[in-house]
Amino acid sequence: MALIALENVAVSYPIFGADAASLKTTLTSAATGGRIGRDTGVTVIEALRDVSFELRDGDRLGLMGHNGAGKSTLLQTLAGVYPPTRGRYCHEGSIASLVNPVLGIEREATGYENIMIRGLVLGMNRLTIRQLTPDIAEFSGLGDYLHMPVHTYSTGMMMRLAFAITTSVRPDILLMDEWLSVGDAEFRKRAEERITSLVAASGILVLASHSASLIARECNRVIELSHGAIIRDEACPVREAASQS
Amino acid sequence: MPSPVRDASRPRGGVPRPDTAWADWWAGTRRVDLWSTLAWYDIVLRYRRSLLGPLWITLSMGVLLLGMGPLYAGLFDVPLKRFLPHLALGIIFWHFFSTTLSDGCQVFIGASAFLKQGAVPRSVFVWRSLTRQLIFLAHHVVLYVPVAIWSGLPCSPRMFLVIPGLVVAMVNLHALSITLGFLSARFRDVPNIVTSSLQLLMFLTPVFWFPEKLPERSRFILYNPLAQLLDILRLPLMSDSPAAGTVWFLLYFTTLNIAVAAYLYRTCRRQVVYWV
Repeated sequence: MALIALENVAVSYPIFGADAASLKTTLTSAATGGRIGRDTGVTVIEALRDVSFELRDGDRLGLMGHNGAGKSTLLQTLAGVYPPTRGRYCHEGSIASLVNPVLGIEREATGYENIMIRGLVLGMNRLTIRQLTPDIAEFSGLGDYLHMPVHTYSTGMMMRLAFAITTSVRPDILLMDEWLSVGDAEFRKRAEERITSLVAASGILVLASHSASLIARECNRVIELSHGAIIRDEACPVREAASQS
Repeated sequence: MPSPVRDASRPRGGVPRPDTAWADWWAGTRRVDLWSTLAWYDIVLRYRRSLLGPLWITLSMGVLLLGMGPLYAGLFDVPLKRFLPHLALGIIFWHFFSTTLSDGCQVFIGASAFLKQGAVPRSVFVWRSLTRQLIFLAHHVVLYVPVAIWSGLPCSPRMFLVIPGLVVAMVNLHALSITLGFLSARFRDVPNIVTSSLQLLMFLTPVFWFPEKLPERSRFILYNPLAQLLDILRLPLMSDSPAAGTVWFLLYFTTLNIAVAAYLYRTCRRQVVYWV
């Protein structure tokens, strides 16, 4: 049972070290995303305003919007990173965030040690991680490289490792920022299969993307954000043949 | 189609979201496997490519003691057998205090990558820092054994008083790390203020010198919390007991310290992710 519910959620955060009164910030607020307000001398970014929606099992939500419209902030809010400033957010089910999977990878540690660290951060216990490690190693396809420090890896290899760990426990809710852009064709195929099976196993997918065709292919609902607020929220029919590929 | 949202603090099944500061602190404290592993890797990764590894921690402290001991015993005109144990414990515990406090400033700044991955209880990072510093302390404190034997210090049951002393020190350092961690994340001048204050405090604290040599009118400088904390750790190990005044002072200080840390934990734990 997976559930996501947001009720009038607003997220605003202060930016320190930025001059609120400068012309530059005023101009960029017109060009890019969130509304930059002025609050007691500190620049406050209003990244999300009055966002409400509810997702249930099997929902696949596509998030659209221009750069800085609040897509990533919304994903980070759903992941529990940013607590809502106003409104309420509650969820049921475990969450896996692929928003920035490489974040928090310890570069000096080996692949195996990173599996342990990341697993613990994700809330698993040591025993579970040890049991899952062979699967993770196999899925990542990194072989003996897992004994090496991660700083010897290429970006693609790091991505493989991070993806393999994050999706190793079947999460109920999967958050993604753009589709997997790193990794070779073979890994991408397997990763897509895994995501498809995760979503098929009664989960929720929230996918932020600029690609309307990707969202049309993967999602059954689309929300468009602009300046941190929802400007469009509609169901979109999934083309069954495409989504099964 | 809007539908009612249940109370966020009480989801059906699963782990309740730590909504109160206390629940968050406790949720982090319970994740022993997480913070002990992080602390352990901090040490292991630091010494991985060195030949002697963590032995360096002990070795560099030993070199410091052997170098400073005879010199300052001569300068202060105190017999070395009396001075060396005083100096050894002074430096070892001072090093523990000062590195824990300067490290405490970085607990949240340094955890930025973890804080931005998901909802991690904040106290995890405080425990991580404290554990790392305790591992360092364990590597240092073994040096006191040969020093004590060489100086012929008597063994007495009073030595066990160091255990409650250590508990009091840990409670205070934990609270101070929370306070400094939040303040440093918000105001980036704090780490610098702490570093420079610690430098001064090292000379105002009887790390090297004997407090009884202090003229009566300067006694007030002993009423700095770190000097008092040093007393409750050092005196028992030298088979002496701390003064009653020390115990009372620390009782008040600890209460105040916990109150400040609890207040900051309550008000800052949500926002800290925006500051790092």
